[in-house]
Order: sequence, then structure tokens, then C-alpha cells
Amino acid sequence: MSVKVEVIEGGVPHQKILIAGLVLAVIGLYLSYLNVIVGTQMFAFFGGLAAIAALVWGSHTIKVLASYGIGTGVPSAGMIAFGSGVIAFLFATKYGVLAPIVAIVLAAVIGAILGYLANEVLSMHIPVMIKSLTEMAVVGALSLMGFSAMITGSFAFSPQGSFIFSLTTGSVKVLGMSLPSYQSSYIGGALIATVFLLGAIAIQHGFNACLGPGWKQDRMLMLVAECGFLSMMMCAIMSVALISLAAAILSFIVGLLGWYYTYTKYIELSKRDAAAWLDAKPIPEVEGH
Amino acid sequence: MDNIVFSIGITALAGALATVAGAAEDVESDIGSQGDPNSQVQLAPQMGYIHRIYNKAIAGEPPAWGLWIALGAGIAWAFMAMQINPILAIVLGAGLATFVQGVYSTTAYLGRTASLSKFGQPVYIDIIKSMTTVTMAHAFVAIFATVTLCHLMNAALGHPFPLPLLGLVWGIALGAAGSATGNPYYGKERQYQTQNFGAGVPISASGNIVRYAEAGERNSLDNGFFTAKLGGPASGVCFGLIVFLELWRTVLFEKIGAGWGAIIVGVIIILIFTIIDRYIEVWARKNYGPYTKPEETSS
Repeated sequence: MSVKVEVIEGGVPHQKILIAGLVLAVIGLYLSYLNVIVGTQMFAFFGGLAAIAALVWGSHTIKVLASYGIGTGVPSAGMIAFGSGVIAFLFATKYGVLAPIVAIVLAAVIGAILGYLANEVLSMHIPVMIKSLTEMAVVGALSLMGFSAMITGSFAFSPQGSFIFSLTTGSVKVLGMSLPSYQSSYIGGALIATVFLLGAIAIQHGFNACLGPGWKQDRMLMLVAECGFLSMMMCAIMSVALISLAAAILSFIVGLLGWYYTYTKYIELSKRDAAAWLDAKPIPEVEGH
Repeated sequence: MDNIVFSIGITALAGALATVAGAAEDVESDIGSQGDPNSQVQLAPQMGYIHRIYNKAIAGEPPAWGLWIALGAGIAWAFMAMQINPILAIVLGAGLATFVQGVYSTTAYLGRTASLSKFGQPVYIDIIKSMTTVTMAHAFVAIFATVTLCHLMNAALGHPFPLPLLGLVWGIALGAAGSATGNPYYGKERQYQTQNFGAGVPISASGNIVRYAEAGERNSLDNGFFTAKLGGPASGVCFGLIVFLELWRTVLFEKIGAGWGAIIVGVIIILIFTIIDRYIEVWARKNYGPYTKPEETSS
């Protein structure tokens, strides 16, 4: 039986972060669906914002789970979130406008099964394991869906309309003609592998970098938002190949502004929490050594 | 025949690129104290040993390097899909991935150090300024070389995986090679030079890493200088051999028995290396080890 070694003192309770993350992610995903309704690609950046909301929620879930003394398993929590989430995400893309809801339900089922296996079959017996892995799988599916919507313009597999939003079919220009190509698409070109790691490292980095006796909730969440915006910038650059240049530049600018704000804020918070902030100074004398 | 000669040439080139990448990767992670030596750097202030060593913990090395390489490959893939010259695309991809690596390094150092405020470990801004750039330079070399070898596999050898997926696979392999080969050398030989050779790290010495240099205080650039001599090249040879032997057996033996030839040769290579490793281990223990019987180690 694991012993809870750290408690969350002060700060926003986990339940609130969970609800806010879930609601914001779903709203963001549906705002990116405006692309299909209006017939443009300019709303792609809402997908990235949805992914960041999910990542912030997910990192706090890692904190809750890791407070039961599995400190060395922090990066693996990010991997299992996206590993279980990718199944739900790919399956849900078949359902068009309902995709985010299907992804949440399916990811919750997959996460609950994984949590049960970890707790009962592998005998980890961590009280929050099933709940946390359920949350992690939903976070993974929503983040992947958000970044995918940002890179390809839509989260659905083959929505109706004149625009070719598709995860598995891209286009190549041969002699001035546009031909469909599976290799130059989001999944066929395996951009999903890059997005997988962009999300998985971003979600675990917050707690992995801020763990320790001086852990502060606001500093960690700010760092995760910073990592999320950094991932969003990189996704915007990769999206140039699949959506219009104007939409990609808009996504990049939104990502850059968010990243700059969160990065400077994070440095301020680190300055607030650090024992001292020194520039080219020797090691201070400590008694006894 | 020409085809095989061409493929062997590409194999040799990929092996050489992998050697450079492995060496740069290991020096990068040693300067940042990433990977398993990080636990001692993280522990030191808690035991009262305030230090001036860069503590950049970004996941383990394999996942972190999986991201840098997959990101470099993903951006290069996107630029190549827009008909940009592959070399320029790979340079741009590696440059942007290096930027992400630098940002992650600074946030990791600030976060870890700020969370140790209870033990009086200060944040040294000069460490961030001088060491992040050095790790970024090494990271650029490693990312560029690895993405290039992935592109060679894809474009010249006709590997069916797309570039970002190859980047993910080989990035994790690169991180694992550096983490397994070079980091123990840094962690045990550099951080614990005050201990007798072969003594291990007893509990009482936990966190008592070497913090002072021959003159003045030691920082992570000294560690990079130290490991660039043996630890880095050893990691380079490790990753280079992995890439070279993997491609060599595929190029030469894939045609035999519908692919089974390459698999059988792979198993034989693993067996040969197991025998060599065992021989070296026994030889080293006979010649260097102060402990001849296992009972003595427990004291």
C-alpha cells in the first residue's frame, strides 16, 4: 500500500482544474470546427488553445497521482496519457462533429481499464490510480485532437464540404495539378508522431521540473502553459505544409504571444520562489561543510 | 551489385553521422546533468552541498531526445513537403528543435532550483546564460546528424517509415545510447572523483559530488570538457555501431529467406556482443576490481 507523501496545500483544488480544463478544451475544439461551418482555415488556432487547456489539467493530474510516491514515474505518466489517448482520438475522428465527445467517452473507458489493470493486476494499489489514468487518457485524446485540428484544419476524418480537411489524405502538386497523396498527410507522413511527443513531454515537464519541497501550484501550471504554447508554435510551423499560410501564421502569432507571456511570467514566479537570484557569485558558505 | 555498393556507402555514411550525433548527445547531457547523474545533482543541496552545476531535468534522456529528433524531423518533413531543398529543410528543423531544447533547459533548471529553496540552493543566472548555449550547440550537432541519417534511410535506402516516425525511433535510440554509455562515466567518474575507484557510492556519500575544481569552483562546462575525452566518443561509437550494424545486416541479408536472413544475422550479432561483453566484464574485474568476493561488497 502506497503512502501519500505530499499533499496539495492551498491553491486551486483539483476538481476545479479538472472541470475548467475539460470545458475549455471542448469549447476550443468546437470553435475550431467553425472552419468547417464557415469554410475557412483561420480558426485552426483554437485547436491549439484547446490542447493547452487539456495539458494544464493533465499536469495537475500527474501531480495528484505522483503525490503517492511515484516520483520517478513522472515522464511515463505523459507517455501513458498520450499512448492511451491516441487510440481514442483515432477512433473518434470517424464521428465527424461528435468526435470530441466520442473521444472523451472512449478515452475514459480505456483509461479506466488501464487503471484497473495497474491497480489490481499489477497490484500497485494507489487510491487515485483509476481516476487519474482515466483523466490522463481523456487529456491525451483531447490534446492530440486539439493539435491535430490545428495542423490539419479539422479534427474530423472526412467532413462534408468543399475543403479537403483530412487526416490521411494530403495533396501534391505535379505539373501544376493537385493530386491526392497519402504520404503527404498528417497521419501518412507521421506528423502525429511528432505531436505525440510534443504533447507527452509538455504534459510531464511541469511537474518533473518543479517537483521538490518548494513546489508551488501556480508556478507549475504556468510552466505547463508555457510548454503548451511552445508546442503550439512548433505545430503552427509544421501546419504550413497542410493548411493555408495565413492560417498557419495566425496560429504561430497566437502561440508566440502566449509563449512570451507565460515564459516571462514563469521566470518571475521562479524568482519569487528561489532562495536567491545570483549572477556569477560563488557558492555561499553553509555551516558544517 | 551497384545497388549494394551504393547501399553500403549510405550505411557507412549513416554510421559516421550517428557517431558524431552520439558524441554530441552525451556531452550535451553531461553538461546538463541530465539522465541518471541528475539524481545526485538534485540530491546534493538536500544534503547540504550547494553547488554550481547545471541541473536540467527534461524527462529521461530517451523521451527528451525522442522529442528533439522527432521535432527536427517533423519540421524538416513539413518543409520538404513544401518542395524546399532537403538540406535547408533539415537545417531549419534542427535549428527550431534546438530552440525548443534551449527553452526546456532553462525552465527545467529554474523549476528544479526554485523548488530547492528550502535548502538554500540559489539560482545562478550566469549558469543559465553560459551553459544553455553550450548544450544548445551540442544539441544542434546531434539533431542535425540524426535527422540527416533518418533522411538518408528514408530517401536513399527506401525505408518505408516516414521521416518523423524514423526520427521518433532513432531519437529514442540515441538518447538510450548516450544515457547507457556516457552518463555512468560522468556520474561515477566525474561526480565521485573523491571516492576510491570501484568503491561505488555508499549512502553516506550520497549528494557529496565534486563541487570544487583544481582552482575555484567547478561548473558544468568542466564536466563537458572532462567527458568529451572518453564518455562522449564512447557513446558515439555505441550509437554509430547500432546504426551501422542495423543497416548493414538489412542491406546485405534482407534478400535471403524473405527477410529472415537479416533477422538471423541480427540475433547472431547480439550473441557475439553478449560474449564480448561478458569477456570484458570478467577481464576488468580480474584486473581492476578490489572486490574479489561478493561478501566484501556488502560491508
